[in-house]
Amino acid sequence: MRQDAALVRMERIGKRYGGVQACRAVDFTLGAGEVHALLGENGAGKSTLMKILSGDVTDFDGQIEIDGTPVSFGGPTDAQAAGIAMIHQELDLVPGLSVADNIFLGRELRTPLRTVDRRRMDREARALLERSGVRIDPRRPVGDLRVGEQQLVTIAKAISLDARVLIMDEPTSALTTTEVERLFEVIRELRRAGVGIVYISHRMEEIAQVADRATVLRNGEIVTSFDPRKLSTAEVVEAMVGRPVQTMFTTPDTDTGDELLRVDDLKLTARRPRPGRRDPDGISLTVRAGEIVGLAGLLGAGRTELLETLYGVAPTGTRSGRILLQGKEIRPRSPRQALAQGIGLVPEDRRASGLVLFHSILANTVLSSLPAYGRLGVIARRLERGASVKMADRLRLKFGRLQDEVGTLSGGNQQKVVFGRMLLTEPKLLLLDEPTRGVDVGAKAEIYRLLGELAGQGLGVLLASSELPELIGVCDRVVVLRDGRDVASFSTADSGEGDLLAAAMGEAAVIGDVL
Amino acid sequence: MTEKPSVVATLFRFQSVFGLLAVFVAAIIFSPRKNGAILFVSADNLANVVRAVSEIGIIAVGMTFVILIGGIDLSVGAVLGLAAVGSAVLMVENDWGFLPSVLLVLVTGTIFGALQGVATAMIGIQSFIVTLAGLQIARGLARIWSGGQGVAISYGDGPKEAPTSFALLGERTFGGLVPIPVLIFAVVAIAAVVFLRVSAFSRHLYAVGGNEKAARLSGVPVVRVKIAVFAICGLLASLAGIVHAVQLNQGSPNDGIGYELDAIAAVVIGGTSLAGGRGSVAGTVAGALLLGVLNNILALNNIDSNIQLLIKGLVIVAAAALQRLRPAS
Ligand SMILES: Nc1ncnc2c1ncn2[C@@H]1O[C@H](COP(=O)(O)OP(=O)(O)OP(=O)(O)O)[C@@H](O)[C@H]1O
Ligand SMILES: [Mg+2]
Repeated sequence: MRQDAALVRMERIGKRYGGVQACRAVDFTLGAGEVHALLGENGAGKSTLMKILSGDVTDFDGQIEIDGTPVSFGGPTDAQAAGIAMIHQELDLVPGLSVADNIFLGRELRTPLRTVDRRRMDREARALLERSGVRIDPRRPVGDLRVGEQQLVTIAKAISLDARVLIMDEPTSALTTTEVERLFEVIRELRRAGVGIVYISHRMEEIAQVADRATVLRNGEIVTSFDPRKLSTAEVVEAMVGRPVQTMFTTPDTDTGDELLRVDDLKLTARRPRPGRRDPDGISLTVRAGEIVGLAGLLGAGRTELLETLYGVAPTGTRSGRILLQGKEIRPRSPRQALAQGIGLVPEDRRASGLVLFHSILANTVLSSLPAYGRLGVIARRLERGASVKMADRLRLKFGRLQDEVGTLSGGNQQKVVFGRMLLTEPKLLLLDEPTRGVDVGAKAEIYRLLGELAGQGLGVLLASSELPELIGVCDRVVVLRDGRDVASFSTADSGEGDLLAAAMGEAAVIGDVL
Repeated sequence: MTEKPSVVATLFRFQSVFGLLAVFVAAIIFSPRKNGAILFVSADNLANVVRAVSEIGIIAVGMTFVILIGGIDLSVGAVLGLAAVGSAVLMVENDWGFLPSVLLVLVTGTIFGALQGVATAMIGIQSFIVTLAGLQIARGLARIWSGGQGVAISYGDGPKEAPTSFALLGERTFGGLVPIPVLIFAVVAIAAVVFLRVSAFSRHLYAVGGNEKAARLSGVPVVRVKIAVFAICGLLASLAGIVHAVQLNQGSPNDGIGYELDAIAAVVIGGTSLAGGRGSVAGTVAGALLLGVLNNILALNNIDSNIQLLIKGLVIVAAAALQRLRPAS
């Protein structure tokens, strides 16, 4: 073994998918106790490179050395045996199994009688989760958890593997500041213990906070490597995109129109309450035409549940309070009805609730707006193609052909397809649940610009986001939710992240530490 | 960046068509000969092959729709029996005319299917269970309607005779070459293929089968789609029942036992995924024909019927195995 051998050394890695060169002669190293950030636009090849390291992709060019010894993995199990664990960007938990079962999947703890020791698994799962600072009942089925919670479970699972190399592919895309902060503490702890960590994220502000080194991929090739503490965000973004991106956020358009949506003391009592859901418990807010209103709050504050209630997909139960759309009371009963009334929703979990992964990009893009392309129930292919090509252009979608399966797109590009589908319905009110989760900076700027433009044409937007800079930058106003109630409302012109955070956590919390 | 799909992908895409071709060629090779003529390819025999397939084929088209939305319909054989009984009883015992009888039978099958759709979509019972119950109910109804016995159909203008117009359905057309049941199957199949290609409804159908939650959130009327699909399946099963009655000149409550399994086999051989959201009617037609050719050649060679079952089973497994090898397109 060479003295200077890095923990991981990947040499001249290449990988092709049909017409797409996902990675091209990439050299990548990771030292023990190093946090190495991997940056790049959607589809740059970050996940592919890491799937090669984690044994998920076995058919590639180039070679991998661990501790200076060449290795060849036949699959993820081999990589795990070599001490490599990966948190996948697209959550890979089994929805029907409990949190504890998921964490210990394939290495269940046994009693002396060789039966599964549930009690111990629950206890250890709880301890693991608490280490990342969350309280989730380990017996809850994973399918009932919101995306952020699932992310925390995957993180706990990866940590429990005691890996020497931990790959985190966008672990924080659905987490709010508080959870991210705790995750960083865990990362620092692991780093002290000598674990090498690869950290992928589209949240630029995280990189400087947590990474020792950063490498930028573009079109499958390495563009540059640098010390993230020495470069400004603007410089990093320029390296990623290949051109300067001037203003990330469009300045909000202040002349808003008439009241579009009014929610008055909305309460929902589900007939069969599900643990972990936070249904609206007295929410009032308004959105004017042309206004972008943000929804802030910690994980579990009830942002998603509010949007679902407005879109008609909340669980059945008794509802009190009123919802008015353009002054008329509505009772959202189904997405179909909501869409007909001009309300669109981009759901949080694009894979479970957004896409038919093995259907084409085209079919997924036009699914909500089919009547627009035909007459008497017959679709004119030319029209639907035209519409989706235009939408793909507008969102700068990176794809091969429209008939490719949407599941082969990179994560951020999948998100754009769900977004585009809703835009094609030409809604009056757009409900967005983490719409830029996993979307790269350039495309984010593009989406923000688009939102600004649509708002200029009178679209009202209700935007739930766990990214405070996004809320402050994009929204005219931000409503903070806590425990299913609206607790504060800020104009973004004269308040900052600190105000939002304080309101989201409540007075009791100490906010000084987190900031 | 347009890239031609690879040869392998194309082969897999038309797997059932190639399968059909292969079985066809094998049939020619193994066909018994008479005076040097290959019996299998005689016009008469080929017409018989397709005629024998037509009932299962019509049912399998409906089954394809149901399987595409991720469901299953076990009641089709029983609904066929119910429709056969209905046709016979109405025309022979009740002396109804041709059109009213056929219409009532078709409407009955459609409503029966739609009700199963309602139970699946609105109450949320799995279609396997709903249609398992539907199978029993349809059989029971057929027994009650027929009085427990098969009702023979004779044709004529007198009482207790079916109108001769009904008999025409069993005849041949196009110069005596094409049996009308085959024509009906062809029309159904082509209509279904075109429908799935051009209609907005078919997009909804595939989306429901592909990811029901995403479909609902995209504004697809999931409940309506499901009810419609089960109604279509019931309609086609009762149409097959009418064809069955005219081909056998009777309607018996025991008609069509086990047909649901043949129909499912045709769909699976045709490459439609039981998980839903992926597949085609063209594949199903090829699958049904493949089974028909196979049955025919085994019968021509006087192969023992138990061995026939065995071979059919192996073909189904082989088709399913091929699908697992299929590369992601
Ligand atoms: N299984 C696959 N089949 C075909 N193409 C694929 C597949 N996986 C990835 N690709 C393509 O390879 C390229 C790189 O994808 P990758 O997922 O590595 O991007 P990424 O950098 O992780 O992007 P993101 O930030 O959006 O997650 C993309 O163009 C993608 O479409
Ligand atoms: Mg990725």
